[in-house]
Amino acid sequence: MANEINLKREQHKESFVSGIIRQNPLFISVLGTCPALAVTKTLEASFGMGLLFTFVLVCSNVLISLLKKIIPEVIETPCYIVIIATFVTITKMFTNAFLPELYSTLGVFLSLLVVNCIVLGRAEAFANKNSVLDSLLDGLGNGIGYTLAICLIGLVREILGTGMLSIGKVFTFIPVYSLPILKAVDGSYDFSMSFFSNSAGGFIVLGLVLAVINAIEQHKKNKAKIALRNEMKKKLHEDDPKPVYQVKEAK
Amino acid sequence: MSTAMTPYIVTFLLAILTGTLADNVILSRFYGICSFIGVGNKVKSAVSMGVAVSFVIILSSLICWPIYYFILTPLNIPFMDTLTYILVIASLVQVVGLFIKKYSPTLYKSFGIYLPLITTNCAVLGVVQSNTDTGISLGQSMGANFGMSMANAIGTSLGFVLVIFIFACIRERLEDADSPKPFRGVAIALVTAAIMAMAFMGLMGIGS
Amino acid sequence: MPLWLNWVLAILTLVILLTIFIVSFVLYKKTPPPKGCEHLGQSEENCSKCDQHGCHLNLYYNGKKDEKKTEPVFDKDLENKENKK
Repeated sequence: MANEINLKREQHKESFVSGIIRQNPLFISVLGTCPALAVTKTLEASFGMGLLFTFVLVCSNVLISLLKKIIPEVIETPCYIVIIATFVTITKMFTNAFLPELYSTLGVFLSLLVVNCIVLGRAEAFANKNSVLDSLLDGLGNGIGYTLAICLIGLVREILGTGMLSIGKVFTFIPVYSLPILKAVDGSYDFSMSFFSNSAGGFIVLGLVLAVINAIEQHKKNKAKIALRNEMKKKLHEDDPKPVYQVKEAK
Repeated sequence: MSTAMTPYIVTFLLAILTGTLADNVILSRFYGICSFIGVGNKVKSAVSMGVAVSFVIILSSLICWPIYYFILTPLNIPFMDTLTYILVIASLVQVVGLFIKKYSPTLYKSFGIYLPLITTNCAVLGVVQSNTDTGISLGQSMGANFGMSMANAIGTSLGFVLVIFIFACIRERLEDADSPKPFRGVAIALVTAAIMAMAFMGLMGIGS
Repeated sequence: MPLWLNWVLAILTLVILLTIFIVSFVLYKKTPPPKGCEHLGQSEENCSKCDQHGCHLNLYYNGKKDEKKTEPVFDKDLENKENKK
């Protein structure tokens, strides 16, 4: 009985943690790149997008997991599309009412969450086979992973592109504060490169980040390969007779 | 009569040109990125996918603009546009697929597998939504009247096919090139796309 | 127009669109593909070469594409790298 509970806890923990780093939806399985290139011009907008994405993902995962026994298998996909579209419409209305700056910054990409590959993919691959708690944790994990990923890209693009890290422009209840890094507030020095605020800059930043992550993965794999190979070498030579050292007599 | 119609025709053609080159749907507006990155390196299948997507874009914007202005707005439910559009797009894709399956096996061979995929293509929903979305900071949606929305749709489809074709050709060459190891696969494709985007940025300002 | 009529027409529109979608979806699934094309998408090799990440047939994001666990071959490159260190 205790074993079963432990197993379930492991499963819950696994479905939560795997979405954050090990199977990050943006960096590892390259999905959901539309918003990752378009709204990441500033850090705040990408954080807002990640938050709304998490909300939609968690809600749709939970509802689909609750209804998984009622939906007949023939019309799975239409039902998922309708459920996700409903939650996206709810999100749009709330955002338009409470955070109108965020709504006008995100524009069309808030509606494009309906056809986001991650949301549909998680619904089809995970939520219709697992329990409600697992789906909730999986949605939360994937959402947090995606938010971290696009915040990283947004951070790089904003610092290099505009030179200042500003908060308070989208979430208007925070006072506006700009942290000058590459560009002074009064314009005395200006090392920012506005190339990164353009579309081409977005492509390059995403490409470079993916290359760095690829390099890290390759390094890990090589290390694992070498360790495995050393182990096998040891096992092969286990049965050799141990060499007997002859002690030279000191003269 | 023809001289009176000329300004409209010229505006229409210029809008198409703008949508294709200057404000390109993938490289400047970022709508179709999911399918753009995963396009693979076979030119023929990439172009057939592009043609299928552009066909769906034109047909669905033909249907969705009247639905917004003649059904949703009089009934006072403009917020249901997302749900309506995705239902229209999805049923259109299924109906088109049904016709292709029954009446044209050659077409089915070239892009039959991609058809269920076009439903979740960001470009289709993005174009249709931006035709009627008055909430963007531009002040006015891109499709203020039916002609503008059709010009937007045609420009988008042409731009989409053009960019996908160029990108597939480039990726075919990239496979044999000797790129650094971490960059192989998606990363070098993205850097190439950045160079393409810079090239297209030079065409900004045509037809304004 | 009276409020109840508004509501009825709105719900009717959505129900009609949903019905059209579901009917066309089921019909599409049930019609068999034309004669030469039955196995177009079902073979693993065809689909794993295509990089379409959103494809529902793509094995990668279904989690089945694990690297085949082969016996570690005594890689000459790795040996050279080790010797250099």
